[in-house]
Amino acid sequence: MRLLTHNMLKCHVKNCTDPDKQYPLRFKDVQIEQIEYEPNEEFLVRMLPRLDWTALVKTAKDLNIAIPDSVPEDPASDQEFLQKLHTIIMETHVTEGSMVCDGCSHEYKITKGIANMLLAEHEI
Amino acid sequence: MKEPVVADTLQISEADKEEQYVHAVYNEIAPHFSDTRFKPWPVIERYLLALPKGSLGADIGCGNGKYLGVRTGDIFMMGTDRSESLVEICRERNYECLVSDGLDLPYRDGAFDFAISIAVIHHFSSDDRRRAAIKELLRIVRPGGTVLVFVWAMEQNGRRKFEEGTQDVLVPWVIPAGSKIETKDKVFHRYYHLFCKGELESLFQQVGGNTLEETGYDRDNWFVITRKE
Repeated sequence: MRLLTHNMLKCHVKNCTDPDKQYPLRFKDVQIEQIEYEPNEEFLVRMLPRLDWTALVKTAKDLNIAIPDSVPEDPASDQEFLQKLHTIIMETHVTEGSMVCDGCSHEYKITKGIANMLLAEHEI
Repeated sequence: MKEPVVADTLQISEADKEEQYVHAVYNEIAPHFSDTRFKPWPVIERYLLALPKGSLGADIGCGNGKYLGVRTGDIFMMGTDRSESLVEICRERNYECLVSDGLDLPYRDGAFDFAISIAVIHHFSSDDRRRAAIKELLRIVRPGGTVLVFVWAMEQNGRRKFEEGTQDVLVPWVIPAGSKIETKDKVFHRYYHLFCKGELESLFQQVGGNTLEETGYDRDNWFVITRKE
Protein backbone atom coordinates (compact mmCIF):
# COMPACT_ATOMS: atom_id res chain seq x y z
CA MET A 1 0.00 0.00 0.00
CA ARG A 2 1.37 3.35 -1.09
CA LEU A 3 1.57 6.40 1.16
CA LEU A 4 -0.64 8.19 -1.40
CA THR A 5 -3.40 5.72 -0.52
CA HIS A 6 -2.79 6.12 3.20
CA ASN A 7 -3.25 9.90 2.82
CA MET A 8 -6.84 9.26 1.66
CA LEU A 9 -7.77 6.82 4.46
CA LYS A 10 -9.56 7.69 7.67
CA CYS A 11 -11.04 5.65 10.47
CA HIS A 12 -14.67 4.88 9.64
CA VAL A 13 -15.82 3.14 12.81
CA LYS A 14 -19.27 4.33 13.86
CA ASN A 15 -19.12 6.98 16.61
CA CYS A 16 -15.43 7.58 15.91
CA THR A 17 -15.89 11.09 14.58
CA ASP A 18 -13.23 13.34 16.15
CA PRO A 19 -11.59 14.74 12.99
CA ASP A 20 -8.31 15.39 14.82
CA LYS A 21 -8.00 11.75 15.88
CA GLN A 22 -9.56 9.61 13.13
CA TYR A 23 -7.10 10.99 10.55
CA PRO A 24 -4.37 10.25 9.67
CA LEU A 25 -4.18 6.62 10.79
CA ARG A 26 -0.95 5.89 12.65
CA PHE A 27 1.30 3.14 11.29
CA LYS A 28 2.36 0.45 13.74
CA ASP A 29 5.05 -2.26 13.39
CA VAL A 30 5.31 -1.76 9.65
CA GLN A 31 7.59 -3.16 6.99
CA ILE A 32 8.41 -0.77 4.17
CA GLU A 33 9.45 -1.55 0.63
CA GLN A 34 10.59 0.83 -2.10
CA ILE A 35 9.22 -0.17 -5.50
CA GLU A 36 10.30 1.80 -8.55
CA TYR A 37 7.53 3.60 -10.46
CA GLU A 38 7.75 5.78 -13.58
CA PRO A 39 7.65 9.44 -12.42
CA ASN A 40 5.23 11.89 -14.03
CA GLU A 41 5.85 15.49 -12.98
CA GLU A 42 2.56 16.88 -14.23
CA PHE A 43 0.69 14.21 -12.29
CA LEU A 44 2.65 15.01 -9.12
CA VAL A 45 1.99 18.77 -9.34
CA ARG A 46 -1.70 18.16 -9.89
CA MET A 47 -1.81 15.72 -6.99
CA LEU A 48 -0.70 18.38 -4.48
CA PRO A 49 -4.18 19.88 -3.90
CA ARG A 50 -5.53 16.35 -3.30
CA LEU A 51 -2.96 15.65 -0.57
CA ASP A 52 -3.35 16.58 3.07
CA TRP A 53 0.21 17.84 3.50
CA THR A 54 0.13 18.05 7.31
CA ALA A 55 -0.96 14.41 7.49
CA LEU A 56 1.69 13.35 4.98
CA VAL A 57 4.44 15.12 6.95
CA LYS A 58 3.30 13.52 10.22
CA THR A 59 3.20 10.05 8.64
CA ALA A 60 6.55 10.39 6.85
CA LYS A 61 8.24 11.55 10.05
CA ASP A 62 6.74 8.59 11.96
CA LEU A 63 8.40 6.33 9.40
CA ASN A 64 11.70 8.27 9.50
CA ILE A 65 11.32 9.45 5.93
CA ALA A 66 12.72 12.92 5.19
CA ILE A 67 10.07 15.34 3.91
CA PRO A 68 9.87 19.16 3.55
CA ASP A 69 7.54 20.72 6.16
CA SER A 70 5.77 22.74 3.51
CA VAL A 71 5.17 22.68 -0.23
CA PRO A 72 7.49 25.11 -2.08
CA GLU A 73 5.90 28.18 -3.68
CA ASP A 74 6.46 26.94 -7.22
CA PRO A 75 6.53 23.14 -6.97
CA ALA A 76 6.32 22.65 -10.75
CA SER A 77 9.82 24.06 -11.22
CA ASP A 78 11.36 22.37 -8.18
CA GLN A 79 12.74 19.10 -9.55
CA GLU A 80 14.31 18.06 -6.30
CA PHE A 81 11.01 18.48 -4.46
CA LEU A 82 9.05 16.55 -7.08
CA GLN A 83 11.54 13.70 -7.02
CA LYS A 84 11.21 13.48 -3.24
CA LEU A 85 7.43 13.66 -3.44
CA HIS A 86 7.41 10.89 -6.04
CA THR A 87 9.56 8.65 -3.87
CA ILE A 88 7.34 9.25 -0.84
CA ILE A 89 3.82 8.96 -2.24
CA MET A 90 4.29 6.66 -5.25
CA GLU A 91 7.27 4.42 -4.48
CA THR A 92 7.07 3.86 -0.73
CA HIS A 93 4.90 0.82 0.02
CA VAL A 94 3.84 -0.52 3.39
CA THR A 95 3.78 -4.29 3.01
CA GLU A 96 3.09 -5.55 6.53
CA GLY A 97 1.89 -4.11 9.83
CA SER A 98 -1.16 -2.13 10.80
CA MET A 99 -2.79 1.29 10.96
CA VAL A 100 -4.18 2.43 14.28
CA CYS A 101 -6.86 5.06 14.92
CA ASP A 102 -5.91 7.47 17.72
CA GLY A 103 -9.60 8.11 18.39
CA CYS A 104 -11.02 4.61 18.94
CA SER A 105 -7.85 2.43 18.84
CA HIS A 106 -9.20 0.31 15.98
CA GLU A 107 -6.37 -1.50 14.24
CA TYR A 108 -6.50 -2.05 10.48
CA LYS A 109 -4.17 -4.85 9.39
CA ILE A 110 -1.92 -4.74 6.35
CA THR A 111 -0.82 -8.11 4.96
CA LYS A 112 1.23 -8.64 1.79
CA GLY A 113 0.66 -5.02 0.85
CA ILE A 114 -3.13 -5.26 1.23
CA ALA A 115 -4.94 -3.23 3.87
CA ASN A 116 -8.09 -4.77 5.30
CA MET A 117 -10.49 -1.94 6.10
CA LEU A 118 -13.52 -4.11 6.96
CA LEU A 119 -15.18 -3.46 10.30
CA ALA A 120 -16.92 -5.77 12.73
CA GLU A 121 -20.71 -5.58 12.70
CA HIS A 122 -20.93 -3.52 15.91
CA GLU A 123 -18.53 -0.93 14.47
CA ILE A 124 -20.62 -0.14 11.37
CA MET B 1 -26.64 -28.23 -19.04
CA LYS B 2 -27.56 -24.57 -18.75
CA GLU B 3 -28.40 -23.57 -15.20
CA PRO B 4 -31.58 -21.47 -14.80
CA VAL B 5 -31.84 -18.09 -13.15
CA VAL B 6 -34.19 -18.38 -10.18
CA ALA B 7 -36.25 -15.80 -8.30
CA ASP B 8 -34.82 -14.78 -4.97
CA THR B 9 -37.17 -16.04 -2.26
CA LEU B 10 -34.53 -16.35 0.46
CA GLN B 11 -35.86 -15.54 3.93
CA ILE B 12 -32.66 -14.19 5.39
CA SER B 13 -31.42 -10.72 6.34
CA GLU B 14 -30.07 -8.39 3.66
CA ALA B 15 -26.57 -8.51 5.13
CA ASP B 16 -26.60 -12.33 5.34
CA LYS B 17 -27.85 -12.57 1.77
CA GLU B 18 -24.96 -10.45 0.51
CA GLU B 19 -22.51 -12.37 2.68
CA GLN B 20 -23.62 -15.81 1.42
CA TYR B 21 -24.76 -15.03 -2.13
CA VAL B 22 -22.24 -12.34 -3.09
CA HIS B 23 -19.08 -12.13 -0.92
CA ALA B 24 -18.58 -15.84 -0.28
CA VAL B 25 -19.27 -16.70 -3.93
CA TYR B 26 -16.79 -14.17 -5.32
CA ASN B 27 -14.14 -15.47 -2.95
CA GLU B 28 -14.78 -19.00 -4.28
CA ILE B 29 -14.97 -18.16 -7.98
CA ALA B 30 -12.30 -15.40 -8.01
CA PRO B 31 -9.69 -17.09 -10.26
CA HIS B 32 -12.26 -18.35 -12.79
CA PHE B 33 -14.17 -15.04 -12.68
CA SER B 34 -10.94 -13.15 -13.24
CA ASP B 35 -10.00 -15.29 -16.25
CA THR B 36 -13.26 -14.23 -17.91
CA ARG B 37 -12.89 -10.50 -17.22
CA PHE B 38 -10.27 -8.75 -19.28
CA LYS B 39 -11.80 -6.51 -21.94
CA PRO B 40 -12.76 -2.98 -20.80
CA TRP B 41 -16.23 -1.86 -21.86
CA PRO B 42 -16.16 1.05 -24.36
CA VAL B 43 -18.20 3.61 -22.34
CA ILE B 44 -15.93 3.10 -19.34
CA GLU B 45 -12.74 3.21 -21.36
CA ARG B 46 -13.89 6.43 -23.05
CA TYR B 47 -14.74 7.99 -19.65
CA LEU B 48 -11.33 7.09 -18.18
CA LEU B 49 -9.39 8.30 -21.24
CA ALA B 50 -11.22 11.67 -21.19
CA LEU B 51 -10.37 12.51 -17.56
CA PRO B 52 -8.09 15.52 -16.96
CA LYS B 53 -4.42 14.72 -16.34
CA GLY B 54 -3.57 14.37 -12.67
CA SER B 55 -6.97 12.94 -11.72
CA LEU B 56 -7.14 10.70 -8.68
CA GLY B 57 -9.84 8.05 -8.78
CA ALA B 58 -11.42 5.21 -6.85
CA ASP B 59 -12.78 1.99 -8.36
CA ILE B 60 -15.28 0.65 -5.83
CA GLY B 61 -15.83 -3.07 -6.36
CA CYS B 62 -12.84 -3.25 -8.67
CA GLY B 63 -12.92 -7.03 -9.10
CA ASN B 64 -9.76 -8.26 -10.79
CA GLY B 65 -8.60 -4.69 -11.50
CA LYS B 66 -9.72 -4.64 -15.12
CA TYR B 67 -10.14 -0.84 -15.04
CA LEU B 68 -7.17 0.01 -12.80
CA GLY B 69 -4.75 -0.39 -15.68
CA VAL B 70 -6.70 1.27 -18.51
CA ARG B 71 -4.86 4.55 -18.00
CA THR B 72 -1.72 4.86 -15.91
CA GLY B 73 0.98 7.49 -15.52
CA ASP B 74 -0.92 10.75 -15.76
CA ILE B 75 -3.87 9.67 -13.58
CA PHE B 76 -3.93 7.30 -10.60
CA MET B 77 -6.63 4.90 -9.50
CA MET B 78 -7.01 2.90 -6.33
CA GLY B 79 -9.35 -0.05 -6.11
CA THR B 80 -11.37 -1.54 -3.30
CA ASP B 81 -13.25 -4.81 -3.29
CA ARG B 82 -15.18 -6.78 -0.67
CA SER B 83 -13.60 -10.02 -1.90
CA GLU B 84 -10.13 -10.66 -0.49
CA SER B 85 -9.43 -13.20 -3.25
CA LEU B 86 -10.08 -10.61 -5.97
CA VAL B 87 -7.97 -7.99 -4.17
CA GLU B 88 -5.11 -10.48 -4.08
CA ILE B 89 -5.39 -10.89 -7.86
CA CYS B 90 -5.17 -7.06 -8.20
CA ARG B 91 -2.14 -7.00 -5.96
CA GLU B 92 -0.37 -9.66 -8.04
CA ARG B 93 -0.91 -7.36 -11.01
CA ASN B 94 0.73 -4.52 -9.06
CA TYR B 95 -2.49 -2.51 -8.79
CA GLU B 96 -3.21 -0.40 -5.73
CA CYS B 97 -6.07 -2.09 -3.94
CA LEU B 98 -7.57 -2.73 -0.51
CA VAL B 99 -10.38 -4.73 1.08
CA SER B 100 -13.43 -2.71 2.01
CA ASP B 101 -17.22 -2.64 1.94
CA GLY B 102 -18.98 -0.36 -0.52
CA LEU B 103 -21.56 0.65 2.08
CA ASP B 104 -18.91 2.07 4.35
CA LEU B 105 -15.78 3.28 2.59
CA PRO B 106 -12.61 4.11 4.53
CA TYR B 107 -11.77 7.24 2.54
CA ARG B 108 -12.01 10.85 3.70
CA ASP B 109 -14.72 13.09 2.24
CA GLY B 110 -13.89 14.54 -1.17
CA ALA B 111 -10.62 12.63 -1.46
CA PHE B 112 -11.07 11.79 -5.16
CA ASP B 113 -11.64 13.57 -8.46
CA PHE B 114 -13.76 10.68 -9.68
CA ALA B 115 -15.14 7.30 -8.68
CA ILE B 116 -16.39 4.36 -10.73
CA SER B 117 -18.41 1.37 -9.61
CA ILE B 118 -18.93 -1.18 -12.34
CA ALA B 119 -21.41 -4.05 -11.94
CA VAL B 120 -21.46 -3.74 -8.16
CA ILE B 121 -24.53 -1.86 -6.90
CA HIS B 122 -26.87 -4.57 -8.27
CA HIS B 123 -25.43 -6.88 -5.58
CA PHE B 124 -26.93 -4.81 -2.74
CA SER B 125 -30.20 -6.38 -1.70
CA SER B 126 -32.50 -3.45 -0.86
CA ASP B 127 -33.28 0.05 -2.14
CA ASP B 128 -31.91 1.51 1.10
CA ARG B 129 -28.60 -0.28 0.71
CA ARG B 130 -28.31 0.64 -2.98
CA ARG B 131 -28.93 4.30 -2.06
CA ALA B 132 -26.36 4.04 0.75
CA ALA B 133 -23.76 2.70 -1.71
CA ILE B 134 -24.42 5.62 -4.09
CA LYS B 135 -24.21 8.08 -1.19
CA GLU B 136 -20.76 6.72 -0.30
CA LEU B 137 -19.55 7.10 -3.91
CA LEU B 138 -20.65 10.74 -3.90
CA ARG B 139 -19.18 11.37 -0.45
CA ILE B 140 -15.62 10.37 -1.41
CA VAL B 141 -15.61 12.55 -4.56
CA ARG B 142 -14.84 16.29 -4.35
CA PRO B 143 -17.51 18.83 -5.38
CA GLY B 144 -17.27 19.06 -9.18
CA GLY B 145 -15.95 15.51 -9.45
CA THR B 146 -17.77 12.77 -11.36
CA VAL B 147 -19.14 9.30 -10.61
CA LEU B 148 -19.74 6.52 -13.16
CA VAL B 149 -21.96 3.56 -12.27
CA PHE B 150 -22.94 0.46 -14.30
CA VAL B 151 -25.59 -2.05 -13.19
CA TRP B 152 -27.26 -5.04 -14.81
CA ALA B 153 -30.46 -4.26 -16.68
CA MET B 154 -33.74 -6.12 -16.43
CA GLU B 155 -34.02 -5.44 -20.15
CA GLN B 156 -31.40 -7.65 -21.79
CA ASN B 157 -30.46 -7.70 -25.46
CA GLY B 158 -27.79 -10.34 -25.08
CA ARG B 159 -27.88 -14.03 -24.32
CA ARG B 160 -29.37 -13.72 -20.82
CA LYS B 161 -33.15 -13.50 -20.50
CA PHE B 162 -34.92 -12.60 -17.29
CA GLU B 163 -38.53 -13.19 -16.36
CA GLU B 164 -40.45 -9.94 -16.36
CA GLY B 165 -41.45 -8.64 -12.94
CA THR B 166 -38.84 -10.65 -11.05
CA GLN B 167 -36.19 -8.09 -10.26
CA ASP B 168 -34.43 -9.95 -7.43
CA VAL B 169 -32.78 -13.10 -8.70
CA LEU B 170 -30.10 -15.70 -8.05
CA VAL B 171 -27.87 -16.04 -11.10
CA PRO B 172 -25.77 -19.17 -11.51
CA TRP B 173 -22.04 -19.04 -12.07
CA VAL B 174 -20.76 -22.31 -13.48
CA ILE B 175 -17.15 -23.38 -13.28
CA PRO B 176 -17.08 -25.97 -16.04
CA ALA B 177 -15.77 -29.50 -15.70
CA GLY B 178 -12.28 -29.99 -17.05
CA SER B 179 -11.05 -26.59 -15.94
CA LYS B 180 -7.91 -26.61 -13.88
CA ILE B 181 -9.94 -26.17 -10.67
CA GLU B 182 -12.90 -28.57 -10.91
CA THR B 183 -13.39 -32.09 -12.28
CA LYS B 184 -17.16 -31.66 -12.72
CA ASP B 185 -19.39 -28.62 -13.23
CA LYS B 186 -19.60 -26.59 -10.07
CA VAL B 187 -22.47 -24.11 -9.70
CA PHE B 188 -22.58 -21.04 -7.47
CA HIS B 189 -25.46 -18.59 -7.17
CA ARG B 190 -25.00 -14.85 -6.96
CA TYR B 191 -27.71 -12.46 -5.83
CA TYR B 192 -28.62 -9.68 -8.29
CA HIS B 193 -31.14 -6.86 -8.26
CA LEU B 194 -31.95 -6.23 -11.92
CA PHE B 195 -32.46 -2.54 -12.67
CA CYS B 196 -35.42 -1.37 -14.76
CA LYS B 197 -35.14 1.55 -17.16
CA GLY B 198 -34.88 4.81 -15.18
CA GLU B 199 -34.32 3.13 -11.82
CA LEU B 200 -30.61 3.95 -11.48
CA GLU B 201 -31.16 7.63 -12.37
CA SER B 202 -33.98 7.74 -9.87
CA LEU B 203 -31.72 6.47 -7.06
CA PHE B 204 -29.16 9.20 -7.82
CA GLN B 205 -31.94 11.80 -7.78
CA GLN B 206 -33.26 10.50 -4.45
CA VAL B 207 -29.79 10.71 -2.92
CA GLY B 208 -29.40 14.25 -4.32
CA GLY B 209 -26.40 16.58 -4.40
CA ASN B 210 -25.49 15.55 -7.95
CA THR B 211 -26.40 16.46 -11.53
CA LEU B 212 -26.77 13.68 -14.09
CA GLU B 213 -24.52 14.25 -17.12
CA GLU B 214 -25.07 11.13 -19.18
CA THR B 215 -27.28 8.10 -18.84
CA GLY B 216 -27.64 5.15 -21.13
CA TYR B 217 -27.75 1.45 -21.92
CA ASP B 218 -24.73 -0.54 -22.98
CA ARG B 219 -24.05 -4.28 -23.09
CA ASP B 220 -27.10 -5.28 -21.06
CA ASN B 221 -26.36 -2.66 -18.41
CA TRP B 222 -27.79 0.71 -17.43
CA PHE B 223 -25.23 3.39 -16.69
CA VAL B 224 -25.05 6.88 -15.20
CA ILE B 225 -22.35 9.53 -15.25
CA THR B 226 -23.10 12.25 -12.72
CA ARG B 227 -21.36 15.31 -11.30
CA LYS B 228 -21.24 16.07 -7.59
CA GLU B 229 -22.57 19.56 -6.77
